[in-house]
Amino acid sequence: MKMLDIALKDLLRYLRTAFLVVMMFVVPLLMTGIFYFAFGGQGSSAGFNVPVTRVQIVNLDRPPAQSSRLAFGEMLIEFLQHEKLATLLQVTIAPDGASAREAVKNRSAEVAVIIPANFTSAALTPGEGATITIVQDPARTLGPGIVKGLISQFVDGLVGAKIAASVVMEQFGQRGIAVQADTLQNVAVQYAAWAVAQGQSRGEGKNPALELEAPPRKVEPASEKTVVAGLIMTGMMLFFVFYTGAGTAESIIQEDEEGTLARLFTTPTLHSVILGGKFIGVFITIIVQLIVLLIASALAFGIHWGELPAVVLLSIGLVVAAAGFGVFVMSFVKNMRQAGPVVGGVLTLSGMVGGLFTTGIQNLPAAYETIQLLTPHGWALRGWKLALAGGGVSDVLLPALVMLAMGAVYFAVGAFLFRKRFA
Amino acid sequence: MRIIDLAVKDLRQVVRDRKSALFLVAMPIVFMLFFSLIFGAQGAQRDPRLPVGFVNHDLASSVSTDLFSLLEGSDAIRPVVLDQKQAGKAGELVRDGKLAAALIVPDGFGQVALAARQPKLTLIVAADNPAGQTASNAVDAAVTRLLANVQIAQLSAEAFETSAQLASETERQAYLEQALTLSNAAWRNPPLSVTVEGAGATERDQPSWQNAYNQTSPGTIIQFTIYSLIMCAGVLVSERKSGAMQRLLTTPISRAQIIAGHTLGMLVVVLAQQAVLIAFSYFVLGIQYLRVPLAILLVAGAYALWVVSLGMLIGAVARSDDQVVMWSLIAMFVFSALGGAWFPLEFTGKAFAAIGHLTPSAWAMDGFQNIIMRGLGLSSVLLPVGILLAYAAAFFALAVWRFRFE
Repeated sequence: MKMLDIALKDLLRYLRTAFLVVMMFVVPLLMTGIFYFAFGGQGSSAGFNVPVTRVQIVNLDRPPAQSSRLAFGEMLIEFLQHEKLATLLQVTIAPDGASAREAVKNRSAEVAVIIPANFTSAALTPGEGATITIVQDPARTLGPGIVKGLISQFVDGLVGAKIAASVVMEQFGQRGIAVQADTLQNVAVQYAAWAVAQGQSRGEGKNPALELEAPPRKVEPASEKTVVAGLIMTGMMLFFVFYTGAGTAESIIQEDEEGTLARLFTTPTLHSVILGGKFIGVFITIIVQLIVLLIASALAFGIHWGELPAVVLLSIGLVVAAAGFGVFVMSFVKNMRQAGPVVGGVLTLSGMVGGLFTTGIQNLPAAYETIQLLTPHGWALRGWKLALAGGGVSDVLLPALVMLAMGAVYFAVGAFLFRKRFA
Repeated sequence: MRIIDLAVKDLRQVVRDRKSALFLVAMPIVFMLFFSLIFGAQGAQRDPRLPVGFVNHDLASSVSTDLFSLLEGSDAIRPVVLDQKQAGKAGELVRDGKLAAALIVPDGFGQVALAARQPKLTLIVAADNPAGQTASNAVDAAVTRLLANVQIAQLSAEAFETSAQLASETERQAYLEQALTLSNAAWRNPPLSVTVEGAGATERDQPSWQNAYNQTSPGTIIQFTIYSLIMCAGVLVSERKSGAMQRLLTTPISRAQIIAGHTLGMLVVVLAQQAVLIAFSYFVLGIQYLRVPLAILLVAGAYALWVVSLGMLIGAVARSDDQVVMWSLIAMFVFSALGGAWFPLEFTGKAFAAIGHLTPSAWAMDGFQNIIMRGLGLSSVLLPVGILLAYAAAFFALAVWRFRFE
């Protein structure tokens, strides 16, 4: 009974403390909100909002006199200035390479494109080559990537036509047949027409040869946004649940420092009952926090956490792991002055190793995914991800059991060290 | 003089509290080392390209072999041949993030392609994540290149048949196959190409502007400098708790002098922390911090001054160590995320990027990246440094205003 009294007293004390309530409930939801705000647009039906890339283009192309009607440098500029690309690119003509480079350097443009003098000539003359130079702001990747993709698409059209002509010449030559200029021109024109049609399809986001199929899901998410929010919220929820585990265990150090623990030890109460009561307080606080976060995030972001039995099983594992880890970490802390940096440091580091801050990143290196499983955070993350994907009890059983085992071991070591200290 | 006395006292306290000091410097290094080992090893030993499953049901055709070669040549993806057992679970492998996508080549694909009919491939991909989008674009590019080769082969065969006759279907097939081979070879050394350079980077620096840690390293410095808020704010709170502040009331020292003294002491500690992180980034990760040392010193100094000033403000308003930790962690998460320390702001929405760029952490990122990535000079950091100093002055003034002895 005394044990429960102590636990209840601790719980009431935590819930009356505004900053603990903020840390337990407000911050995880706030952090998820920030990330949701940052990346939520990617999953929206309107698509990802790509910023307009400012491009300075220098056309040094001088088409040969005999083919002056074909000026591929001019055509490339027209292609990049096409009204369909206006939402992606803002193209300005620069007088020379130096000024275009300077524009990127002083950040008045993100990309400079320099078309070489022999661009048209190289596209038409066998054996001749030319290179378009893209100069980019090194701190940008998205805009320069788009520009490179578009220019490569244009250049591929020209290269394909040239290759088509050279293949015809080679094959005709091997068979001893002379090639007429008209034939070569005809092949190049037909290829160009095909390339333009292909480019249009790709421009509309379709490749007629590719059928896209979504991977099977055990549960269809309400929207793509909820997938993003679910992953981010999982990381934040786990981090702050572990934080609460350590933060509430900190009350033992605090009471020791304030002298109230020593006063308790003078009462006819066993040390194990007092410490046990404080440990139960940690468990109950985490349970309350977890329930509130699961419900609040489901309501705020529409996250479907998965099947109820799986969620219950994972919650039990998480509570034991977070409480055990918290008691373990605090058992090494000497005073409240140390508690801040140590709790913040250990939890941030273990959270990072456990993958809690990289939940939105796919295809992480296998080594990292393995290392994550050295921490209870990593197992918790694995279990909750499976639940989010619709996994049942059988899917989440292993992560839950590992969390229970790890939590029990951490708890046993932490409790042993506390008992030794206060013996 | 009193200001310096206070600063020296703080420094002595920090040096004596080895566990806290160790966390301040060791933790970010462990963090950087950890990610260096994880992602560095990936770059050095493993193929860093996204894995894309390749299920080939068209084993008899050279067209599918050509497609595999084209996928292998991609900078973004690497094809992973799936056996029969794995092929049945391709969708699950994509769903679980083991593969970025899975491409399924149906039986008869090559025959359909060479017969000038529209061939169909199936790509299993989660289009709602960046890895899936990257894989999808790369597969799309490879398939387009393959179709270009097929188109060239068909055009060549059609052109030939206007002048001569291919005796049989077998001969026609051989002609097409030869055209495919020639076309494939020609694409490997195209007459027109596109090259990318980093603006501002000299020829010597070209390889380093694409260093994978150009984002992670300054991001880590930004984040862990803010982490030292716990120490900065904790100084004021612990002095208030121990009664040292009340004792200071009896001395002729002003509130501004107290804040200035603690700011000076903590500034030295934070600068030392940054120096260790910058040295580690330079010598171990190869980040070009020492290209313009004075510029880096200015950015680091101005940013450290802002962080310490914020720490003083938190210390002035916080009533306990717990509150210090709470406000410091909130500040670390918010300023790191909004300032682009965790991910470049260009990847976020317009509103987020605009708001993010109002934060001092974003200006500090700009200052560092102007030197280490953009290869710019001292003048490029003057604006970021000016803004950081203005923020530092504002937070210092707020700290003095809010500071109470009890």
